[in-house]
Amino acid sequence: MVYFTISDAVRLGIDYIKRRFQRTAINVASIGLANSFLTSLIMTDLFYATFNEYQGSSIGVDAYQYWLVAVALIVSVVGITNAMLISVYERYREIGTMKCIGALDQHILMLFLVEAIIQGAAGGIIGYFLGVVAAVLSSGFTTGFNIIFMVPITELLGYLVGTTILSILLSIIASMYPAWRASKLPPVEALSYEL
Amino acid sequence: MSYDTVIELRNLVRHYTMGDETVKALDGVDLDIGRGEYVSIVGPSGSGKTTLFNLIGGLDKPTQGNVFIDGVDISQLDAYELAWLRCRKIGYIFQSFNLIQVLTALENVALPTVFAGTPHEEGLKKAEKLLSSVGLGKRIHHRPGELSAGQQQRVAIARALANDPAIILADEPTGNLDLQTGQEIIDLLHGLNKAQGLTLVAATHDLKMIKASDRNVWMRDGKVERIERG
Repeated sequence: MVYFTISDAVRLGIDYIKRRFQRTAINVASIGLANSFLTSLIMTDLFYATFNEYQGSSIGVDAYQYWLVAVALIVSVVGITNAMLISVYERYREIGTMKCIGALDQHILMLFLVEAIIQGAAGGIIGYFLGVVAAVLSSGFTTGFNIIFMVPITELLGYLVGTTILSILLSIIASMYPAWRASKLPPVEALSYEL
Repeated sequence: MSYDTVIELRNLVRHYTMGDETVKALDGVDLDIGRGEYVSIVGPSGSGKTTLFNLIGGLDKPTQGNVFIDGVDISQLDAYELAWLRCRKIGYIFQSFNLIQVLTALENVALPTVFAGTPHEEGLKKAEKLLSSVGLGKRIHHRPGELSAGQQQRVAIARALANDPAIILADEPTGNLDLQTGQEIIDLLHGLNKAQGLTLVAATHDLKMIKASDRNVWMRDGKVERIERG
């Protein structure tokens, strides 16, 4: 039997992220920006709704803006897929080497997916806070900047969890094809590859 | 000297299709390699050395014929068993070292023990011991980029030994090294072969390696041209 546990994959995945920080940073920024856009919209909506409750007014966010968010999310997925594919090409020889010393296809897959999850989580959390700040700044002039303290904290946390999970899912979806390609590489071909 | 056989090649054929043409990289090779033997596979480039290396190592499948490692036909193995074989039975050494650049020397050497299921701490201890045995005890936390070519090849040798394999396969291990460093690597490999009874199969065209080995298998056009005792 060949053993390779999730914790091994996480350990290695973190090593990769630390030492190839630039590429990871680009992916995190891509998810982060998309998520901050989404969060700022949700939060603005939430602030307006809270404001309306107190003031009896009826201001809101235009529905078409959600379409823009959807487009931003799709663009970020495509961008991450591209970045991950380049990362697979860069690591051709490494993948071949790992297969030589006992890695199975699923281990390679696991390594890439672990990276995707970490990237998604980091992008999600960073994006969320950026989005909240953006929403406070943009709606504050109408509703007052203390509006954020009127929104229940559980609701804020709920959206943090929700959008982070969404970001992780998007990152996984974006990385699935590159990871699958990496895992299916025949070792001989991967080893003889010159970048 | 007589050995019991650890690697048996029977009528080994490997053809590649390139467009309409079929390239006969290996064209019927029969060879027995004994336990503890040091065999050099010699021949001009394109003679099938690397293909032979890949087939013995279970990295590639033959078009025809069989590779037996310890009596087991490796073309019959599934992905798990093949990974087990690569992990435990065979240590690979490459011309271009193929170390993982983001990992330190210590982590590189410990990596095969991860796939073998050795507890993390134990694997690191083993790796440290191996690195000092190849003379790199003081550089265990350096990354490959911070080591010389000869030092990188030493790390690769230590990595190949990490799971106590029976067979070391080396593909032009001195190909990227200067004469002096190359000689040191050959001495190191030769020493392991003699001291630990490791079976060593090296594809090479380095005369110094050919001199050190027990037998030289000369390849030409995918066939064994002649075998001579070293």
